[in-house]
Amino acid sequence: MIKLEDVSFSYATAKEKSLKNINIEISKGECILLTGESGCGKTTITRLLNGIIPNYYEGKLQGEVLINGNNIKTMELYQMAAIVGSVFQNPKSQFFNSDVKSELAFICENMGMHPKDIEERMRKAIKEFSIEKYIENSVVQLSGGEKQRIACAAVSTPNPIIYVLDEPSSNLDRQGIILLRDSIQKLKNQGFTIVIAEHRLHYLREIADRVIIMDEGEITSTFLAKDFFLLSKEKIEKYGLRSTSFKDIGHKSINKTNFLKNELVFENFIYAHKGQQECLKIDELKIPQNSITAVIGNNGAGKSTFSKCLCGIYKNSGTLTINDEKQKYKKRLSSCYMVMQDVNHQLFTESVIEEVLLSMDQENNERAKEVLEQLDLLPFIERHPVSLSGGQKQRTAIATAIVSERQVIVFDEPTSGLDFRHMKEVAKELKKLSDKGKTILLVTHDLELIFSCCNFIVEIERGIVNSAYPLYGNTRKLIDYFEIGGNAVEEKKVPVPPKKTFYLRG
Amino acid sequence: MKNLNHKTRHFIVDPRSKFLILLLNSIFVFGGAGGAHPMMLPIRHVLIAIPLFFLLFEGKGKSACIAALGYAFFYIIQVTYFGLTKGLLNHMLLFSIGFFVRILPNVMAAYYLISTTTVSELISAMERMRFSNYLIIPIIVMMRFFPVVIEESNAVADAMRMRDVRFGGKKISKLLEYRFIPMITCSVKVGEELSASAIARGLGSPMKRTNICNIGFRGIDFFVFVFGILTIIVFSTTKM
Amino acid sequence: MSIVKTNKLTSKDLVTVGIYTAIYFVSMIVVGFLAFIPVFIPLMAILVPILGGIPFMLFLSKTEKFGMITLLSAINGILMFVMGMGIYVAITGLVFGLLADLVVKSGHYESSKKALLGYCVFSLWLFGNFIPFYIGREAQIAMLAEGYGQEYANALNTVMPINMAPVLFVACVVFALVGGVIGKAACKKHFERAGII
Repeated sequence: MIKLEDVSFSYATAKEKSLKNINIEISKGECILLTGESGCGKTTITRLLNGIIPNYYEGKLQGEVLINGNNIKTMELYQMAAIVGSVFQNPKSQFFNSDVKSELAFICENMGMHPKDIEERMRKAIKEFSIEKYIENSVVQLSGGEKQRIACAAVSTPNPIIYVLDEPSSNLDRQGIILLRDSIQKLKNQGFTIVIAEHRLHYLREIADRVIIMDEGEITSTFLAKDFFLLSKEKIEKYGLRSTSFKDIGHKSINKTNFLKNELVFENFIYAHKGQQECLKIDELKIPQNSITAVIGNNGAGKSTFSKCLCGIYKNSGTLTINDEKQKYKKRLSSCYMVMQDVNHQLFTESVIEEVLLSMDQENNERAKEVLEQLDLLPFIERHPVSLSGGQKQRTAIATAIVSERQVIVFDEPTSGLDFRHMKEVAKELKKLSDKGKTILLVTHDLELIFSCCNFIVEIERGIVNSAYPLYGNTRKLIDYFEIGGNAVEEKKVPVPPKKTFYLRG
Repeated sequence: MKNLNHKTRHFIVDPRSKFLILLLNSIFVFGGAGGAHPMMLPIRHVLIAIPLFFLLFEGKGKSACIAALGYAFFYIIQVTYFGLTKGLLNHMLLFSIGFFVRILPNVMAAYYLISTTTVSELISAMERMRFSNYLIIPIIVMMRFFPVVIEESNAVADAMRMRDVRFGGKKISKLLEYRFIPMITCSVKVGEELSASAIARGLGSPMKRTNICNIGFRGIDFFVFVFGILTIIVFSTTKM
Repeated sequence: MSIVKTNKLTSKDLVTVGIYTAIYFVSMIVVGFLAFIPVFIPLMAILVPILGGIPFMLFLSKTEKFGMITLLSAINGILMFVMGMGIYVAITGLVFGLLADLVVKSGHYESSKKALLGYCVFSLWLFGNFIPFYIGREAQIAMLAEGYGQEYANALNTVMPINMAPVLFVACVVFALVGGVIGKAACKKHFERAGII
């Protein structure tokens, strides 16, 4: 079905090879899990399989890639689309239509199929993935898991025989993952060949047949899935991978933290987007000062709204009391800081050092370098911030927060799409910040990260605080919250965060 | 076809009519062609009303009503009070009247076109207008990409406020750079993903594209076209 | 690169045009709102070419085939027309886009001097905005008086005298040069180092 023979590839923009002498043979109906640290080349392989390399991303390709007996070098992308269905990670860019129905028809329309035929195929896909209820919706109304399900259904309409998924779970919450797993299972049941590049592994336990681990563009080991998921936690971590099960996620090592007496008190955090219902309604919330607090909840529960209110980005939204000082939103703009999920939004200058200097009231080169040294960024001070790796960008943002003397730092999903090692690094950074006396809030779906550094939990549901508790003594409760049951649970409809922008047929 | 046709829209206007409405609005309302001729006044009001009514039928009554109220309020001010004030107040009035009376109707017509047309309908309409593929693909990609650019731009603006980079803050001279460059960088990055995904889904394949949508002229389109012709006739009489 | 390069525009090129048209147009909207204030209308000849330089120069780094610049300019012109800037913008958009494309093509889409010159030519699309002030000036002023009040019309009449045309023309070219240089610098300073070129 798929055969990679001695494949090497380097992107036109990069000096180093992204893939080195890769040999893979995949037979029909197999489900392959590609994993490894960020930048190991797993995404590059998925791009080879769906023909985006070499048709879209240019570079130097050696060796043969055969898909169903055809060499990808001789095939055009639109021909590939009929054989290989691709699901990408970012819903913002992977959908072309704004309504579900058009998205389902899109590929077939592009291929010039007869409208009657297209409708027949759509009906089949709708039935196969049980998505009747979403069919009249616009894409923005859907949750992350629903979006990935629609994506699977949409690429299935031209009847491809191979499915390639590139980190499909990275923007998903717990329920989204359940839905995604179910969608992949459906594809597998139909006997399709599936290749998934992924760093979150636990949800693929029952689906994958073979696991391929990569490092720096090479395949380091291959396992049968049943052997792989039996590997010990230590072994998995040695490969730099995320844990394969919540059971051994390391909650035993959590120690009791003695919180300071001081508390941060949030009062009247109420926010509604223009002309919409309130999506955040927190009358009072107390969290210990100096803690690392995880803010958990499903997509659309109001976590991002809460963090934007907290940082004063949304106006007139409640009072925060720190050290007996009441802070309105204006004050919070300069006392709180958010490291955004897409850090690129907050990096403005041409070099790391300038970035830090910009945030200082009085430019002070010595101090800037000192902070950068603590964050291991000294070798990069002249680099353009955007050209750094994800973790380095985050640390640059952290550096700007430190020099501007912020008391509270909010992280919005700092580890979505990060492998084990980088996740641990983030956790280490957070602990360091906490040791310096900062209060950290962490919006996350990442249980491993929570166990690695957090000590307080706030659970938000539909705009209100469901519960707030210290982690110590409550680990079971938290695991239960994140645990994915054996059977797919019907996803609860969560309110959709409103969008300011308008869409084609929104 | 039960599921697909179950809740089909009853109110379908051909995208070409929507184009025409937008065009007429931009020439005669925003552009002000025809000047102050008394006959143009009712014509203009009908032109403004058409997209608002259509929006109402499409279930977007709320935005239509807000726009209608804004327009009515400032239109009345324009007719009754305008010219009585001087100086700064006058300029502010001028600005608001300009916005609500001229730009807003045009924006609503554009909003109507964009928010009620699917990609499939749009492509189909452009194909019938004999647009070449070279124009169609960039145009639909552009329309798909606008919201992304605006979203990225807003996110950068939020970050700027948080980092205290603003008018009256630090480094005013570089304000534009800090706003502009990240917006472009972020947009280009999303844009690259978007193109890869769209092309992997067969966009721009040399095969003749089909469309599942069902566009074509109906009664309502006939009305729009007749009114368009009427507008042009009235306009040409004002020139005489 | 294993794929043979053709001179025909591929779907990738067309998608790229769409993306950069959106970015360019959004940049234009930012300054476009200023045009409400009469004083700013002639200043458009300065602001638009300066601001447009950054996205356009980045776009040029992605062009290597004839037609992409023409398309971007033509679509931008159509958009401006639909937004109510008058029919002339659609024409100047197409004409100057085509000319700019020819200029850049003569440098094989590599020469940075030709790129700069190409941007100057491209920026002249803006002139379509000013044409109504010269062809049928009386009607334009009368119309503005009706729509925005006599004060506004008078103000415009003073800031846009008839002999302003050559000045605007020169300004457009000169500030396109400035914008182009800024754009080039931004590419070098930011986009290249950030790894998006």
